[in-house]
Amino acid sequence: MRTFILPLLCLLSSVAFAHDMPGMKMPREPALGASAAFDTHGRLWVVDAADGHVRLRHSDDLGKTLSPPLYVNAVAEPIYDEGENRPKITFGSRGELYVSWSQPRAKPWTGFVRFARSPDGGAHFSAPITVHHDHAEITHRFDALAVDGHGRVVIAWIDKRDMEAAQAKGRPYLGAAVYYSWSDDAGKSFVPERKLMDNSCECCRIALARTPGGEVAAFFRGVYGDNIRDHAYALLPTDGKAPHPERATFDGWRIAACPHHGPGLAIAADGTRHAVWYEAKSGPAIWYGQLDPGHPPQHLLKLAAPGASHADVAVHGKTVWLAWNQVDANGYTLMLRVSADGGLHFDAARAIAHSSAAVGSPQLLTRQGHAFVAWNTADGFRLVPTEAR
Amino acid sequence: MRRLVLVALLALALPTLAHAGTPASLSAGDVPALLKPPAHGVRILAVWALDCAYCEANMQALAKLQQLHPQDVELVTVATDSIAQGAQIAARLKAMRMDGYPARAYAEASPERLDFLIDPNWGGETPRTEIIRADGSRQGISGELTMPQLQKLRP
Repeated sequence: MRTFILPLLCLLSSVAFAHDMPGMKMPREPALGASAAFDTHGRLWVVDAADGHVRLRHSDDLGKTLSPPLYVNAVAEPIYDEGENRPKITFGSRGELYVSWSQPRAKPWTGFVRFARSPDGGAHFSAPITVHHDHAEITHRFDALAVDGHGRVVIAWIDKRDMEAAQAKGRPYLGAAVYYSWSDDAGKSFVPERKLMDNSCECCRIALARTPGGEVAAFFRGVYGDNIRDHAYALLPTDGKAPHPERATFDGWRIAACPHHGPGLAIAADGTRHAVWYEAKSGPAIWYGQLDPGHPPQHLLKLAAPGASHADVAVHGKTVWLAWNQVDANGYTLMLRVSADGGLHFDAARAIAHSSAAVGSPQLLTRQGHAFVAWNTADGFRLVPTEAR
Repeated sequence: MRRLVLVALLALALPTLAHAGTPASLSAGDVPALLKPPAHGVRILAVWALDCAYCEANMQALAKLQQLHPQDVELVTVATDSIAQGAQIAARLKAMRMDGYPARAYAEASPERLDFLIDPNWGGETPRTEIIRADGSRQGISGELTMPQLQKLRP
């Protein structure tokens, strides 16, 4: 009898847990939303989430082995850790580690952008803070994290405060907005947030990259006119000046939908803005182009069609790498194209890894002029070299 | 007494187990059956995602269509989120009163393979409406359906 009651009690308690903690998921295998980055010493760092904690691991052998995980947030909380929403990691100029993530709130589509800092290379983390000063239970999520040339920590996210305000007045408002903030004190505090642009996409990641001048630039999906899902490019001013987002893609994909598919951006030392993005005006397509904000991109190249998703881009000197997931009935193939002339020409697409298990979005990383792809699979994290060894 | 405790526990547990809106897992091997043309009329897959703010209205519009043509329209909701989030999916279906329809959720931790198997000419944007007719013809529409698109779906 007792043995019969116990499983039933377990069942009931798990159901109660799911109802009591909206947004909190039941204990399960870690989701595939992970981010990776090399620090200045060449050590690889990986963040993902498990059981309400952002986990930090590192590797000194190019991903072959990962350290035991450290918890960034000591107190468990709900964490968005799938698809376009994943914990992020970057570094300060004095060995600081910065980690951000989005925390689901009780209502659908709501979230708070969270941030924690380690002053000592990951040994200890500060208690997480909420980055935005607006604490309404609305969308503030899809965080993107970068550090500018002056060491300021810059975070941008998708925010629905303007949509909510418009709806309350019965006015139409397409999409959401992108807001951003920054920290002048190495992540101890963030200035009150600024609006970057009204009418952004609601559910696509924001790409951030540093310009040669040390500013942080954003490339993200907007909503133009009657639900046209083209992308915008903008610098994120940290000197009080107003931002000037400009339309940077002109595909004209009109749709009332969540593409779940944000772009990628990498800026070369010569200022060339290498970008990748998805649209489906005439069927699914991944594009590469060099952004010329206010005008259509240059050197457009259709990378891939059906089954391709979640491209990323990296640049070092004149070498440009493009990576994406190509799916078929048998699973996922990690695809690569490389240009040796600054994106004017690319070699043929080639497969560099395969997984029959589910995979997360590929992330291109560079280390001493070599590129690697961080590829989180349901069978484990992989760091895939782009060069034959 | 023991029997009473057992009955009480079962009474509490069973509704959660047998709830109509509780999604069943959709794996790659299940896709052909889901896409098999119905014996008559049309099967409509209302594909949605927890993150999708457009999906609720789209599903409810398809539910209205189904209620107008209950003999000819079979409606199935398909969440592209992992079945690991089954409790959240069920709660959301209930909140939007879509829990009366057969519900599926992806068995895999990332959606792209199942997206591709359901329709290779779809890049994963939601809502997605897949229309499977008895004559074997197929149609896929991305985005919230417009009134003219909905009217064309009438059997």
